[in-house]
Amino acid sequence: MSSSSLSTVRDAVAGGGGSTAAASRDSAGLSPAAYRLGVIAAVALLALAPLVVQSFTVTLLNYIGVYSLAALGLVLLTGIGGMVSFGQAAFVGVAAYATAWLTTRHAASPWLGLAFALVVTGLLALVLGALTLRLKGHFLSLGTLAWGLSISFLFGTVEGLGNFNGISQIPPVSLGPVLLAGTVPMFYLIWSVVALSLLLAANLLRSRMGRAMRVLRGGNILAESLGIDAFRIRLALFVIAALLAALSGWLEAHLSRYVSPTPYGAGPGIEYLMMAIIGGSGTLFGAVVGAAVIALLKNAVQDWFPVLFPGAPGQLQVVAFATLFILFLQRSRDGLVPALARFLPTVRRSVPPPAAPLARRAQPTRGEVLLSVDGVQRRFGGLVAVNGVSFDVRAGEIVALIGPNGAGKSTMFNLLTGALKVNRGRVIFAGEEISSLPQRAIARAGIARTFQHLKLRPHMTLLDNVLLGAHPRLEAGLVAGALTLRRDEEARARAEAMRLLERVGLGDRPFERAGNLPLGNQRVLEIARALAADPALLVLDEPAAGLRRQEKTALADLLRSLRAENLTVLLVEHDMEFVMGLCDRIVVMDFGSKIAEGRPEAIRNDARVQEAYLGGVV
Amino acid sequence: MDLDIATLLMVDGITTGAVYVLLAIGMVLIFTVTRVIFVPFGDIAVYAALTLSALEAKHAPGTAALVAAVAAVATLMEVTSLLRHGKARAVPRALAFYLALPLAVSGTVWAASGTDWPMPVRIALAIVAVLPLAPLLDRIVFRPVADASVLLLMIIAVALHFALAGIGLLCFGAEGVRTQPLTEAALTFGDVLVSGQTALIVVAAASFSLLLFLFFNHTLTGKALHATAVNRLGARLVAIRPERAGTIAYLIGSLLAAISGVLIAPVTTIFYDSGFLLGLFAFVGAIIGGLTNYPGTALGALLVGLLGSYASFFSSSFKEVIVFAALVPVLLWRSIATTHSEEEIEE
Amino acid sequence: MKRFLRYTMLGGALLAALPARAEITVGFVTSLSGPASSIGILYSNGIKAAHLYRDAVAGETIRLIQLDDGSDPSAATRNARKLVEENKVDILIGTSSAPSSLAMAAVAAELKVPMIAISPINVEASQSGDRWAICVPQTPALMMKAVTDRMAKNGTKKVGYIGFSDAWGDLVYNGAKAAEAGGHLAFTTDQRYTRTDSSVTGQILKVLATKPDGVLDGGSATQGALPLLALQERGYKGRLYGNPALVNADFIRVAGKSAEGIELPTGPVIVAEQLPEGHFAKAPSLAFRDAYQKANGTPSTDSFSAYAFDAWLIMTDASKRAMAAEAKPGTPGFRRALNEAIFSTKELPGTEAVYSYTPASSFGVDARGVVMVRLQGGTWIYAP
Repeated sequence: MSSSSLSTVRDAVAGGGGSTAAASRDSAGLSPAAYRLGVIAAVALLALAPLVVQSFTVTLLNYIGVYSLAALGLVLLTGIGGMVSFGQAAFVGVAAYATAWLTTRHAASPWLGLAFALVVTGLLALVLGALTLRLKGHFLSLGTLAWGLSISFLFGTVEGLGNFNGISQIPPVSLGPVLLAGTVPMFYLIWSVVALSLLLAANLLRSRMGRAMRVLRGGNILAESLGIDAFRIRLALFVIAALLAALSGWLEAHLSRYVSPTPYGAGPGIEYLMMAIIGGSGTLFGAVVGAAVIALLKNAVQDWFPVLFPGAPGQLQVVAFATLFILFLQRSRDGLVPALARFLPTVRRSVPPPAAPLARRAQPTRGEVLLSVDGVQRRFGGLVAVNGVSFDVRAGEIVALIGPNGAGKSTMFNLLTGALKVNRGRVIFAGEEISSLPQRAIARAGIARTFQHLKLRPHMTLLDNVLLGAHPRLEAGLVAGALTLRRDEEARARAEAMRLLERVGLGDRPFERAGNLPLGNQRVLEIARALAADPALLVLDEPAAGLRRQEKTALADLLRSLRAENLTVLLVEHDMEFVMGLCDRIVVMDFGSKIAEGRPEAIRNDARVQEAYLGGVV
Repeated sequence: MDLDIATLLMVDGITTGAVYVLLAIGMVLIFTVTRVIFVPFGDIAVYAALTLSALEAKHAPGTAALVAAVAAVATLMEVTSLLRHGKARAVPRALAFYLALPLAVSGTVWAASGTDWPMPVRIALAIVAVLPLAPLLDRIVFRPVADASVLLLMIIAVALHFALAGIGLLCFGAEGVRTQPLTEAALTFGDVLVSGQTALIVVAAASFSLLLFLFFNHTLTGKALHATAVNRLGARLVAIRPERAGTIAYLIGSLLAAISGVLIAPVTTIFYDSGFLLGLFAFVGAIIGGLTNYPGTALGALLVGLLGSYASFFSSSFKEVIVFAALVPVLLWRSIATTHSEEEIEE
Repeated sequence: MKRFLRYTMLGGALLAALPARAEITVGFVTSLSGPASSIGILYSNGIKAAHLYRDAVAGETIRLIQLDDGSDPSAATRNARKLVEENKVDILIGTSSAPSSLAMAAVAAELKVPMIAISPINVEASQSGDRWAICVPQTPALMMKAVTDRMAKNGTKKVGYIGFSDAWGDLVYNGAKAAEAGGHLAFTTDQRYTRTDSSVTGQILKVLATKPDGVLDGGSATQGALPLLALQERGYKGRLYGNPALVNADFIRVAGKSAEGIELPTGPVIVAEQLPEGHFAKAPSLAFRDAYQKANGTPSTDSFSAYAFDAWLIMTDASKRAMAAEAKPGTPGFRRALNEAIFSTKELPGTEAVYSYTPASSFGVDARGVVMVRLQGGTWIYAP
């Protein structure tokens, strides 16, 4: 196992996000070599397990492995992507039935059954995802419940699938001449698949696409502003979760050698979700822990219930199980792995070494018109929020858009970045009309933005947050990410992100969690993220809001130095004082219209501006 | 399919739909006030039906013992929490509400079983017997996690359903029950025969929906509930405690569930675990209504009843598939129709 | 706490010492919860009666371990593995639904433990050609043949079918449908409903639209009454036929008058008192009823618990012969000997049938195991 894949396993163990609760104490952590030793020991211990433990323990481990694959899919979908699905069991069932059908009715090899199961499940997920992933929040979950139930009812009613009696006599998997029938051979097959899936998933989460997946819970606007197609990422995640379910279903079919409709209904769908939640739905290893806890808890209730409550009716076992589960959720909402991770040693991480810089876009020449707003209008019902506003921004300038509350600044900002659509007029950026483009296309064209209400990923490290900005500049896809095929690109991106962190003054703690930073630092972190996109125009939404005087000065210095490098900055601001000392030109809006434009001194003395600002007060 | 059959199916669909209407309205009420998608709602209906059947058979219904046990746990939790917060003065009130009242109910039902009461008394007893359950379970299960996300609350509700179904199996046995019909009368409209029970279900559903509507618009408690549903913080500012509003919502919801359980018990076989699908179908109706809007919910629930009825005629084995699959386009339409305020960050 | 620990350790030591035992261990799986529990609880009662009736074979006591599968085939699989691998049972008996029993049979074949299935399943021989499971109940084909014969005798030619949309509904329909080959009758429609449906109006309308002379009800227990009530409501006057799963006190109570006159096939135990003297099932049935009353405190009215009882009879009968072969319980040798003994069971009279198994077939029941009964005034009348 290479060192890089080992470190990904560590991430898988400690928390898929690549950031642990204790990341800030990483100087005190375990050395990578010691960690590698630990992982090898754990894998060896697992590999030796069948030789020492009772055979029923191996059986239990087999089930835990099979369940943890389906739960792993849910961890990715729910914990990482924020989509709660009750339909995972249906995907497990589709795969189990697919391989059962092919191997019994057409005497095909189980390996062909695997390919068939993956294709059928993947295609089904693609179609269902395309139909339902535009749903939001609990509507999405209910949608998954609906199609999950529909599919599970189909298993018993579609002709040729053995109806409610199911399909029996499924052949065992064979590896060359070796027949993998029986508990112990299946143990090795199942846990190899689990280990491989964990490794690939951990690699994926650390890659460019994985970072994009971890953005999803921050909302569509954030993802799109980073040039990420949120819907496609959602769909990819959904299909990946279904494929993991398919692996689980394939293994289960050839382990039990029998399939029937009951194990793929609503109940098991909920049980997989329970596993993901108990383990800790944000961490990959939580899937294994959750599957183990549920399987062992059921087994323990079965063993201990008659001992502890002799004579009590067996029907109470399910009540006991449900009660324990409710108690668990009341006490520990984040799941076991995050709770336990606090007691585990962390691994020291090294700062990304310098590497060749990423390719940069051709910057416009200083002084030419970069952004041109031409008679833009936006209405909300009868209210005209922006009314025929025109102004230009030239390359290498810092321009401020100011105005009192309700002047239409924020609407203007959203029109420029594509979050809102223009009703009339045009926005031209670098010679191209962008008024009708989707948000992410505008972002990719070279406009990077920050948010007034910060949209950082609080559980991701500073470095990862900055790397998010570089998404459109990188190429690694899903497969490349899972197999770490683009290590060179990744190393360059990390080096670049590190440089940017240093530049904004956060280079001393790249592995801190973003959520642990004070507000001022979070604002400059957002700027670093925007800079990682290598923009031609930086659009800042109230960057000075909530900052202390000292922090404002530092921010102004940073913006000036960016201007010196020929970057263009447009800021929407409330704070007159901050703007006056910094900007080349100022555009003033009031009641949706532009009332003045000019150099700061001219604006300060403009009667209409004074009236707009002071009139509201006096 | 000729007109007669179409009419028959429609009558059948409206009857089932009417029961779903009561259940769906109850679910929406609880959801809007407490944010809990109360999955075990169907179980409450089923408990009422099974209790009625036990009373008919002159058995002591398991509900009585269950209510007593749940009340004891809730009281323990409430009193401990009050003492820990130094509110010893509120303890007598809590004792009265969480212990004395439920025990009075379960004691009455216990004492009344074994006697041959006339049917209206039995029905009233069955309804009263299940009323304390949901508010008490709210205290035990949901209040400690009242600030959790809708999804976590929903998952807890699902687990609660499993627990209730298991207890139902223990209390009432695995066999299905059917209670005596409330009326043997039958009406004929042209060629179509409508049983009195069917008519009763529809009339009861309609009148209780109307009563609820009047309650929300013309009573102070109703308006307070409505206020809590719209804005919890705002409601607190005007001195409406969300906990109290929650309890009232659970009480009214349970009443609706119990009534629908008693209505449906004579026309269908009720099992200890029938609640899940019953609740789910009602829930589908509620979703069609958008989970917040009562007239829409009622319409949605009726639609589900009709859809199920016609689907069972066209393809009996695919009935559930059809009903659940029909939900997906409805959800899509709803999610497009409602302009979501972006910013649903879940952290 | 310390005392508790000490007892636990003592218990552990006792458990560890167990391999020295010679008792026969029986692993029994049934559904105490979930949709199949209405039958599963009866099976559990039946096995309790059986254990009380005979708790030792040739001086060796029989230990019974029971696990709940929650009506879920994958739980049944897990339970079967647990019983074999952890409890080292000599034989498996189970369970309440056909899919779960099939799932258990797959485990039995893999781990080479004999199994007695108490649901009607079709056990296929494994790839090596050996069989490890037998099936106690009359095959649905056998049962349904008795009904279709009765239909022919009654002159019923067009039959409508309405049954459960589950494994049982499939079994009943396919069993009865086989009679179409004889040319005496034809099925006009195949309608299904679920155990949780509140109404079967749509399905019944479809059945009636085909104008049948008779209707076959493929439901079970209480919910099997639903089609009959709907038929009565629609004024149906033709003949009614049923299946053995309708033999249930709650069915009679719920269906009331709507089920009057329904004819169905069942095992002889249901009408034990009405059987003629000298009938093979009379003595075992009365013994079973007696044991059931003692074990459970209520009288037996169903046929499911009797299957569990018969499974026990077959098991003890075979154990006697297996122990004569000098094999010690708890060893693979004993399991094999027991399996061979089970598959050479000959003419063993039980409460439901006379059982004879051969290595070539997992079914061991012939037409003697089916009687026709008719519901009259709320009781089942023996109607040969």
